[in-house]
Amino acid sequence: MEFKDYYQILGVEREATAEEIKKAFRKLARKYHPDVSKEPDAEHRMQELNEANAVLSDPEKRIAYDQLKAGHHAGQEFQPPPNWDAGFEFSGHGGPGSQAEFSDFFSELFSRTGQQGAAHGRTSGRQRGEDHHAKVLLELVDVYRGTSRKLTLQMPAVDPQGRVKLVEHVLDVRIPKGVREGQLIRLAGQGGAAADDGGTPGDLYLEVHFQAHARYRIEGLDVYASLPVAPWEAMLGASVNAPLPDGTVEVRIPEGSQAGRKLRLRGRGIPAAQAGDLYLVLEIVLPAASSDRARELYQTMARELAFNPRQALES
Amino acid sequence: MTQEHIAMVVDEIRLTLDELTTSCTISREWVAEHVQAGVLEVDPLADAALWRFSGRDLLRVRRLWELELTFDANPELAGLVVDLCDELARLRTRLRRAGLNTD
Repeated sequence: MEFKDYYQILGVEREATAEEIKKAFRKLARKYHPDVSKEPDAEHRMQELNEANAVLSDPEKRIAYDQLKAGHHAGQEFQPPPNWDAGFEFSGHGGPGSQAEFSDFFSELFSRTGQQGAAHGRTSGRQRGEDHHAKVLLELVDVYRGTSRKLTLQMPAVDPQGRVKLVEHVLDVRIPKGVREGQLIRLAGQGGAAADDGGTPGDLYLEVHFQAHARYRIEGLDVYASLPVAPWEAMLGASVNAPLPDGTVEVRIPEGSQAGRKLRLRGRGIPAAQAGDLYLVLEIVLPAASSDRARELYQTMARELAFNPRQALES
Repeated sequence: MTQEHIAMVVDEIRLTLDELTTSCTISREWVAEHVQAGVLEVDPLADAALWRFSGRDLLRVRRLWELELTFDANPELAGLVVDLCDELARLRTRLRRAGLNTD
Protein backbone atom coordinates (compact mmCIF):
# COMPACT_ATOMS: atom_id res chain seq x y z
CA MET A 1 0.00 0.00 0.00
CA GLU A 2 1.33 3.42 -0.97
CA PHE A 3 1.25 6.45 1.29
CA LYS A 4 -1.05 9.19 -0.01
CA ASP A 5 -0.18 12.83 0.48
CA TYR A 6 -3.61 14.44 0.79
CA TYR A 7 -2.10 17.93 0.96
CA GLN A 8 -0.34 17.35 -2.35
CA ILE A 9 -3.55 15.99 -3.92
CA LEU A 10 -5.43 19.17 -2.97
CA GLY A 11 -2.43 21.39 -3.76
CA VAL A 12 -2.43 23.08 -0.36
CA GLU A 13 0.24 23.71 2.27
CA ARG A 14 0.46 21.63 5.40
CA GLU A 15 -0.63 24.71 7.40
CA ALA A 16 -3.66 25.46 5.18
CA THR A 17 -6.75 26.69 6.98
CA ALA A 18 -10.08 24.88 6.75
CA GLU A 19 -11.31 27.63 4.43
CA GLU A 20 -8.27 27.25 2.13
CA ILE A 21 -8.81 23.49 1.99
CA LYS A 22 -12.47 23.97 1.15
CA LYS A 23 -11.61 26.46 -1.63
CA ALA A 24 -8.90 24.22 -3.11
CA PHE A 25 -11.22 21.22 -3.05
CA ARG A 26 -14.06 23.06 -4.78
CA LYS A 27 -11.76 24.50 -7.43
CA LEU A 28 -10.34 21.07 -8.29
CA ALA A 29 -13.74 19.37 -7.95
CA ARG A 30 -15.06 21.72 -10.61
CA LYS A 31 -12.06 20.97 -12.85
CA TYR A 32 -12.28 17.19 -12.49
CA HIS A 33 -16.04 16.71 -12.17
CA PRO A 34 -16.64 13.63 -14.37
CA ASP A 35 -19.74 15.12 -16.00
CA VAL A 36 -17.88 18.07 -17.51
CA SER A 37 -14.14 17.41 -17.33
CA LYS A 38 -12.20 16.54 -20.47
CA GLU A 39 -9.27 15.20 -18.46
CA PRO A 40 -8.78 11.50 -19.28
CA ASP A 41 -8.42 10.47 -15.63
CA ALA A 42 -11.12 12.78 -14.27
CA GLU A 43 -13.05 10.07 -12.44
CA HIS A 44 -9.96 8.79 -10.65
CA ARG A 45 -8.83 12.32 -9.78
CA MET A 46 -12.28 13.11 -8.40
CA GLN A 47 -12.15 10.05 -6.17
CA GLU A 48 -8.73 11.14 -4.88
CA LEU A 49 -10.02 14.64 -4.23
CA ASN A 50 -13.07 13.35 -2.36
CA GLU A 51 -10.86 11.16 -0.25
CA ALA A 52 -8.34 13.91 0.50
CA ASN A 53 -11.16 16.29 1.37
CA ALA A 54 -12.87 13.73 3.59
CA VAL A 55 -9.71 13.57 5.69
CA LEU A 56 -8.46 17.16 5.65
CA SER A 57 -11.88 18.78 6.13
CA ASP A 58 -12.55 16.65 9.21
CA PRO A 59 -10.58 18.04 12.19
CA GLU A 60 -10.31 14.64 13.94
CA LYS A 61 -9.11 12.81 10.87
CA ARG A 62 -6.77 15.63 9.87
CA ILE A 63 -4.97 15.67 13.25
CA ALA A 64 -4.57 11.88 13.18
CA TYR A 65 -3.36 11.99 9.55
CA ASP A 66 -0.88 14.78 10.32
CA GLN A 67 0.67 12.69 13.07
CA LEU A 68 1.05 9.78 10.70
CA LYS A 69 2.32 11.91 7.84
CA ALA A 70 5.53 12.94 9.62
CA GLY A 71 8.29 10.95 7.96
CA HIS A 72 6.21 9.73 5.02
CA HIS A 73 5.89 11.00 1.48
CA ALA A 74 3.57 10.32 -1.45
CA GLY A 75 4.05 6.95 -3.18
CA GLN A 76 6.16 5.51 -0.37
CA GLU A 77 5.38 1.91 0.64
CA PHE A 78 3.39 2.20 3.83
CA GLN A 79 1.84 0.17 6.63
CA PRO A 80 0.22 2.00 9.55
CA PRO A 81 1.94 1.33 12.90
CA PRO A 82 -0.10 -0.74 15.39
CA ASN A 83 -2.61 1.36 17.32
CA TRP A 84 -1.55 4.46 15.41
CA ASP A 85 -5.02 5.89 15.94
CA ALA A 86 -5.31 5.24 19.68
CA GLY A 87 -7.02 8.17 21.28
CA PHE A 88 -8.92 9.30 18.19
CA GLU A 89 -12.63 8.87 17.54
CA PHE A 90 -13.65 9.25 13.91
CA SER A 91 -17.25 10.03 13.07
CA GLY A 92 -18.58 9.12 9.64
CA HIS A 93 -20.80 11.55 7.78
CA GLY A 94 -22.82 8.98 5.83
CA GLY A 95 -24.18 9.86 2.44
CA PRO A 96 -24.01 7.94 -0.80
CA GLY A 97 -20.68 6.53 -1.87
CA SER A 98 -18.97 7.87 1.22
CA GLN A 99 -16.39 5.16 1.73
CA ALA A 100 -16.88 2.35 -0.72
CA GLU A 101 -15.16 4.41 -3.42
CA PHE A 102 -12.10 5.34 -1.37
CA SER A 103 -8.66 3.75 -1.60
CA ASP A 104 -7.15 0.94 0.44
CA PHE A 105 -5.04 3.61 2.11
CA PHE A 106 -8.11 5.46 3.39
CA SER A 107 -9.92 2.26 4.34
CA GLU A 108 -6.92 1.03 6.29
CA LEU A 109 -6.68 4.25 8.26
CA PHE A 110 -10.17 5.51 8.84
CA SER A 111 -12.79 2.81 8.34
CA ARG A 112 -13.94 1.04 11.43
CA THR A 113 -16.78 -1.24 12.35
CA GLY A 114 -19.83 0.61 13.53
CA GLN A 115 -18.96 3.71 11.60
CA GLN A 116 -20.94 2.84 8.53
CA GLY A 117 -24.41 4.16 7.80
CA ALA A 118 -24.25 7.13 10.10
CA ALA A 119 -26.97 9.03 8.27
CA HIS A 120 -29.54 11.14 10.01
CA GLY A 121 -32.97 9.71 10.52
CA ARG A 122 -32.09 6.08 9.86
CA THR A 123 -34.64 3.54 10.94
CA SER A 124 -33.93 1.96 14.28
CA GLY A 125 -33.61 -1.74 15.01
CA ARG A 126 -30.95 -4.14 13.86
CA GLN A 127 -28.48 -2.51 11.56
CA ARG A 128 -28.75 -3.46 7.92
CA GLY A 129 -25.65 -3.68 5.74
CA GLU A 130 -24.85 -0.82 3.40
CA ASP A 131 -26.14 -0.89 -0.14
CA HIS A 132 -23.32 -0.87 -2.67
CA HIS A 133 -23.32 0.76 -6.08
CA ALA A 134 -21.32 -0.11 -9.19
CA LYS A 135 -21.51 0.02 -12.99
CA VAL A 136 -21.72 -2.89 -15.41
CA LEU A 137 -20.91 -2.86 -19.14
CA LEU A 138 -23.10 -5.08 -21.31
CA GLU A 139 -22.91 -6.19 -24.93
CA LEU A 140 -26.01 -5.58 -27.03
CA VAL A 141 -26.46 -9.31 -27.50
CA ASP A 142 -26.70 -9.64 -23.69
CA VAL A 143 -29.62 -7.24 -23.74
CA TYR A 144 -31.47 -9.31 -26.34
CA ARG A 145 -30.99 -12.65 -24.69
CA GLY A 146 -30.40 -11.84 -21.05
CA THR A 147 -27.07 -13.05 -19.79
CA SER A 148 -25.19 -14.57 -16.92
CA ARG A 149 -22.15 -12.56 -15.94
CA LYS A 150 -19.41 -13.12 -13.45
CA LEU A 151 -18.80 -9.80 -11.75
CA THR A 152 -15.71 -8.95 -9.74
CA LEU A 153 -16.18 -5.97 -7.46
CA GLN A 154 -14.07 -4.30 -4.79
CA MET A 155 -16.12 -4.17 -1.62
CA PRO A 156 -15.43 -3.05 1.93
CA ALA A 157 -15.39 -5.91 4.46
CA VAL A 158 -14.52 -6.02 8.14
CA ASP A 159 -11.32 -7.86 9.07
CA PRO A 160 -10.74 -9.66 12.42
CA GLN A 161 -9.25 -6.47 13.89
CA GLY A 162 -12.48 -4.63 13.18
CA ARG A 163 -11.09 -2.56 10.35
CA VAL A 164 -12.75 -2.17 6.98
CA LYS A 165 -10.67 -3.35 4.03
CA LEU A 166 -11.41 -3.58 0.35
CA VAL A 167 -11.79 -7.21 -0.72
CA GLU A 168 -12.69 -8.81 -4.03
CA HIS A 169 -16.28 -9.96 -4.23
CA VAL A 170 -17.03 -12.33 -7.13
CA LEU A 171 -20.62 -13.22 -7.93
CA ASP A 172 -22.57 -14.77 -10.77
CA VAL A 173 -25.41 -12.53 -11.88
CA ARG A 174 -28.37 -13.29 -14.11
CA ILE A 175 -29.15 -10.07 -15.97
CA PRO A 176 -32.69 -9.95 -17.36
CA LYS A 177 -33.19 -9.37 -21.07
CA GLY A 178 -34.50 -6.02 -22.19
CA VAL A 179 -32.53 -3.94 -19.71
CA ARG A 180 -31.83 -0.44 -21.05
CA GLU A 181 -28.90 1.97 -21.02
CA GLY A 182 -28.77 3.92 -17.76
CA GLN A 183 -31.18 1.63 -15.92
CA LEU A 184 -30.43 0.33 -12.46
CA ILE A 185 -30.63 -3.32 -11.57
CA ARG A 186 -30.73 -4.58 -8.00
CA LEU A 187 -29.22 -7.72 -6.49
CA ALA A 188 -30.93 -8.26 -3.16
CA GLY A 189 -28.60 -9.11 -0.28
CA GLN A 190 -25.37 -8.72 -2.27
CA GLY A 191 -24.28 -5.40 -0.75
CA GLY A 192 -22.41 -4.88 2.52
CA ALA A 193 -22.68 -7.37 5.37
CA ALA A 194 -24.82 -6.43 8.36
CA ALA A 195 -23.04 -4.89 11.33
CA ASP A 196 -24.50 -7.46 13.71
CA ASP A 197 -25.48 -11.11 13.42
CA GLY A 198 -29.23 -10.52 13.28
CA GLY A 199 -29.12 -7.78 10.64
CA THR A 200 -29.71 -8.27 6.94
CA PRO A 201 -27.08 -7.56 4.28
CA GLY A 202 -27.48 -4.57 2.02
CA ASP A 203 -28.31 -4.72 -1.68
CA LEU A 204 -26.05 -4.25 -4.68
CA TYR A 205 -27.18 -1.76 -7.33
CA LEU A 206 -25.64 -1.91 -10.80
CA GLU A 207 -25.96 0.94 -13.30
CA VAL A 208 -26.18 -0.55 -16.78
CA HIS A 209 -24.12 0.79 -19.65
CA PHE A 210 -23.70 -0.65 -23.13
CA GLN A 211 -20.37 -1.22 -24.80
CA ALA A 212 -19.99 0.94 -27.89
CA HIS A 213 -20.54 -1.08 -31.05
CA ALA A 214 -19.29 -0.20 -34.52
CA ARG A 215 -22.47 -1.38 -36.26
CA TYR A 216 -25.29 -0.78 -33.80
CA ARG A 217 -26.55 2.32 -32.09
CA ILE A 218 -29.40 2.43 -29.62
CA GLU A 219 -32.03 5.11 -29.15
CA GLY A 220 -34.31 4.23 -26.27
CA LEU A 221 -35.80 0.88 -27.25
CA ASP A 222 -34.99 1.24 -30.95
CA VAL A 223 -31.82 -0.14 -32.48
CA TYR A 224 -30.19 1.16 -35.66
CA ALA A 225 -27.81 -0.95 -37.75
CA SER A 226 -26.14 -0.33 -41.06
CA LEU A 227 -26.81 -2.85 -43.84
CA PRO A 228 -24.25 -2.85 -46.66
CA VAL A 229 -25.80 -3.61 -50.07
CA ALA A 230 -24.49 -3.75 -53.64
CA PRO A 231 -25.70 -1.05 -56.10
CA TRP A 232 -27.72 -3.60 -58.10
CA GLU A 233 -29.35 -4.95 -54.89
CA ALA A 234 -30.43 -1.40 -54.05
CA MET A 235 -31.69 -0.51 -57.54
CA LEU A 236 -33.17 -3.82 -58.66
CA GLY A 237 -34.38 -5.05 -55.28
CA ALA A 238 -33.14 -8.22 -53.58
CA SER A 239 -33.56 -10.50 -50.60
CA VAL A 240 -30.46 -10.44 -48.41
CA ASN A 241 -29.47 -11.93 -45.07
CA ALA A 242 -28.96 -9.28 -42.39
CA PRO A 243 -27.08 -10.26 -39.23
CA LEU A 244 -28.89 -8.93 -36.13
CA PRO A 245 -27.88 -9.03 -32.44
CA ASP A 246 -30.12 -12.07 -31.87
CA GLY A 247 -29.51 -13.92 -35.16
CA THR A 248 -29.84 -13.45 -38.89
CA VAL A 249 -32.98 -12.35 -40.68
CA GLU A 250 -33.83 -12.30 -44.38
CA VAL A 251 -34.95 -8.86 -45.51
CA ARG A 252 -36.34 -7.62 -48.79
CA ILE A 253 -34.55 -4.59 -50.21
CA PRO A 254 -37.18 -2.60 -52.10
CA GLU A 255 -36.42 -1.78 -55.72
CA GLY A 256 -35.04 1.72 -56.26
CA SER A 257 -33.56 2.15 -52.76
CA GLN A 258 -30.97 4.87 -52.19
CA ALA A 259 -28.25 4.97 -49.54
CA GLY A 260 -29.61 5.94 -46.11
CA ARG A 261 -33.03 4.36 -46.65
CA LYS A 262 -34.30 2.87 -43.41
CA LEU A 263 -36.01 -0.49 -43.36
CA ARG A 264 -38.00 -1.06 -40.17
CA LEU A 265 -38.22 -4.47 -38.53
CA ARG A 266 -41.09 -4.01 -36.12
CA GLY A 267 -40.52 -5.40 -32.61
CA ARG A 268 -36.91 -6.47 -33.31
CA GLY A 269 -35.38 -3.68 -31.19
CA ILE A 270 -34.69 -3.97 -27.45
CA PRO A 271 -37.03 -6.61 -25.97
CA ALA A 272 -39.69 -5.21 -23.65
CA ALA A 273 -43.42 -5.46 -23.02
CA GLN A 274 -43.65 -3.14 -26.01
CA ALA A 275 -40.43 -4.04 -27.79
CA GLY A 276 -38.58 -1.41 -29.78
CA ASP A 277 -38.04 -1.55 -33.53
CA LEU A 278 -34.86 -2.32 -35.41
CA TYR A 279 -33.94 -0.06 -38.31
CA LEU A 280 -31.60 -1.26 -41.03
CA VAL A 281 -29.97 1.74 -42.70
CA LEU A 282 -28.88 0.93 -46.24
CA GLU A 283 -25.28 1.61 -47.07
CA ILE A 284 -24.45 1.17 -50.76
CA VAL A 285 -21.00 -0.33 -51.24
CA LEU A 286 -19.39 0.00 -54.67
CA PRO A 287 -17.31 -2.82 -56.11
CA ALA A 288 -13.75 -1.76 -56.91
CA ALA A 289 -12.82 -1.25 -60.57
CA SER A 290 -9.93 -3.60 -60.03
CA SER A 291 -10.12 -5.66 -63.22
CA ASP A 292 -10.49 -4.89 -66.89
CA ARG A 293 -13.99 -6.34 -66.87
CA ALA A 294 -15.06 -4.22 -63.88
CA ARG A 295 -13.67 -1.06 -65.50
CA GLU A 296 -15.50 -1.93 -68.68
CA LEU A 297 -18.81 -2.29 -66.81
CA TYR A 298 -18.33 1.10 -65.10
CA GLN A 299 -17.46 2.69 -68.48
CA THR A 300 -20.62 1.20 -69.98
CA MET A 301 -22.72 2.68 -67.16
CA ALA A 302 -21.02 6.06 -67.53
CA ARG A 303 -21.70 6.06 -71.26
CA GLU A 304 -25.23 4.70 -71.32
CA LEU A 305 -26.91 5.91 -68.11
CA ALA A 306 -26.27 9.65 -68.58
CA PHE A 307 -26.37 9.97 -64.81
CA ASN A 308 -25.52 13.26 -63.07
CA PRO A 309 -25.37 12.75 -59.27
CA ARG A 310 -25.02 16.56 -58.77
CA GLN A 311 -28.10 17.54 -60.67
CA ALA A 312 -29.90 18.67 -57.53
CA LEU A 313 -27.00 21.06 -56.72
CA GLU A 314 -27.27 22.78 -60.08
CA SER A 315 -30.96 23.61 -59.98
CA MET B 1 -20.83 -24.33 -8.45
CA THR B 2 -21.58 -20.81 -7.20
CA GLN B 3 -25.10 -19.54 -6.77
CA GLU B 4 -26.49 -17.36 -9.55
CA HIS B 5 -28.14 -14.17 -8.33
CA ILE B 6 -31.13 -12.79 -10.18
CA ALA B 7 -30.94 -9.07 -10.95
CA MET B 8 -34.17 -7.06 -10.84
CA VAL B 9 -34.69 -3.91 -12.91
CA VAL B 10 -35.36 -1.13 -10.39
CA ASP B 11 -37.76 0.67 -12.74
CA GLU B 12 -40.00 -2.41 -12.63
CA ILE B 13 -40.00 -2.80 -8.86
CA ARG B 14 -39.75 0.93 -7.90
CA LEU B 15 -38.30 1.97 -4.55
CA THR B 16 -40.12 3.13 -1.45
CA LEU B 17 -38.92 6.16 0.52
CA ASP B 18 -37.31 3.85 3.09
CA GLU B 19 -35.50 1.86 0.40
CA LEU B 20 -34.23 5.04 -1.23
CA THR B 21 -33.00 6.59 2.04
CA THR B 22 -31.37 3.35 3.16
CA SER B 23 -29.67 2.82 -0.17
CA CYS B 24 -28.28 6.35 -0.36
CA THR B 25 -27.65 6.72 3.40
CA ILE B 26 -29.67 9.91 3.52
CA SER B 27 -32.52 11.02 5.74
CA ARG B 28 -36.24 11.13 4.96
CA GLU B 29 -36.09 14.86 5.68
CA TRP B 30 -33.44 15.31 2.97
CA VAL B 31 -35.70 13.60 0.43
CA ALA B 32 -38.77 15.58 1.56
CA GLU B 33 -36.83 18.85 1.21
CA HIS B 34 -35.84 17.94 -2.35
CA VAL B 35 -39.36 16.85 -3.27
CA GLN B 36 -40.69 20.19 -1.99
CA ALA B 37 -37.98 22.00 -3.99
CA GLY B 38 -39.17 20.19 -7.12
CA VAL B 39 -35.85 18.50 -7.88
CA LEU B 40 -37.20 15.00 -7.22
CA GLU B 41 -40.23 14.17 -9.26
CA VAL B 42 -42.86 12.74 -6.96
CA ASP B 43 -46.10 14.39 -5.88
CA PRO B 44 -45.22 16.67 -2.93
CA LEU B 45 -48.85 16.64 -1.79
CA ALA B 46 -49.11 12.84 -1.66
CA ASP B 47 -48.43 10.85 1.49
CA ALA B 48 -44.68 10.11 1.65
CA ALA B 49 -45.51 6.45 2.26
CA LEU B 50 -46.92 6.35 -1.28
CA TRP B 51 -43.89 7.89 -2.96
CA ARG B 52 -42.17 5.54 -5.40
CA PHE B 53 -38.78 6.15 -6.96
CA SER B 54 -37.19 4.92 -10.19
CA GLY B 55 -33.61 3.86 -10.76
CA ARG B 56 -33.03 7.24 -12.40
CA ASP B 57 -34.28 8.94 -9.20
CA LEU B 58 -31.77 6.97 -7.15
CA LEU B 59 -28.89 7.98 -9.42
CA ARG B 60 -30.15 11.57 -9.31
CA VAL B 61 -30.19 11.55 -5.51
CA ARG B 62 -26.57 10.39 -5.41
CA ARG B 63 -25.50 13.16 -7.78
CA LEU B 64 -27.51 15.86 -5.97
CA TRP B 65 -26.04 14.81 -2.64
CA GLU B 66 -22.50 14.88 -3.99
CA LEU B 67 -22.94 18.33 -5.57
CA GLU B 68 -24.47 19.79 -2.43
CA LEU B 69 -21.69 18.38 -0.27
CA THR B 70 -18.89 19.45 -2.62
CA PHE B 71 -20.07 22.97 -3.40
CA ASP B 72 -22.45 23.75 -0.53
CA ALA B 73 -25.11 24.05 -3.22
CA ASN B 74 -28.76 24.40 -2.29
CA PRO B 75 -31.22 21.81 -3.71
CA GLU B 76 -32.42 24.06 -6.54
CA LEU B 77 -28.89 24.84 -7.76
CA ALA B 78 -27.79 21.21 -7.48
CA GLY B 79 -30.95 20.21 -9.40
CA LEU B 80 -30.13 22.74 -12.13
CA VAL B 81 -26.56 21.39 -12.44
CA VAL B 82 -27.80 17.79 -12.67
CA ASP B 83 -30.34 18.79 -15.33
CA LEU B 84 -27.65 20.62 -17.32
CA CYS B 85 -25.30 17.62 -17.05
CA ASP B 86 -28.10 15.34 -18.29
CA GLU B 87 -28.74 17.69 -21.20
CA LEU B 88 -25.00 17.76 -21.94
CA ALA B 89 -24.91 13.95 -21.96
CA ARG B 90 -27.95 13.82 -24.25
CA LEU B 91 -26.41 16.26 -26.74
CA ARG B 92 -23.05 14.46 -26.66
CA THR B 93 -24.86 11.22 -27.46
CA ARG B 94 -26.52 12.90 -30.44
CA LEU B 95 -23.14 14.20 -31.63
CA ARG B 96 -21.64 10.72 -31.38
CA ARG B 97 -24.58 9.25 -33.30
CA ALA B 98 -24.02 11.84 -36.01
CA GLY B 99 -20.35 10.83 -36.15
CA LEU B 100 -19.16 14.18 -34.78
CA ASN B 101 -16.47 14.85 -32.21
CA THR B 102 -17.80 15.64 -28.71
CA ASP B 103 -14.82 17.79 -27.66
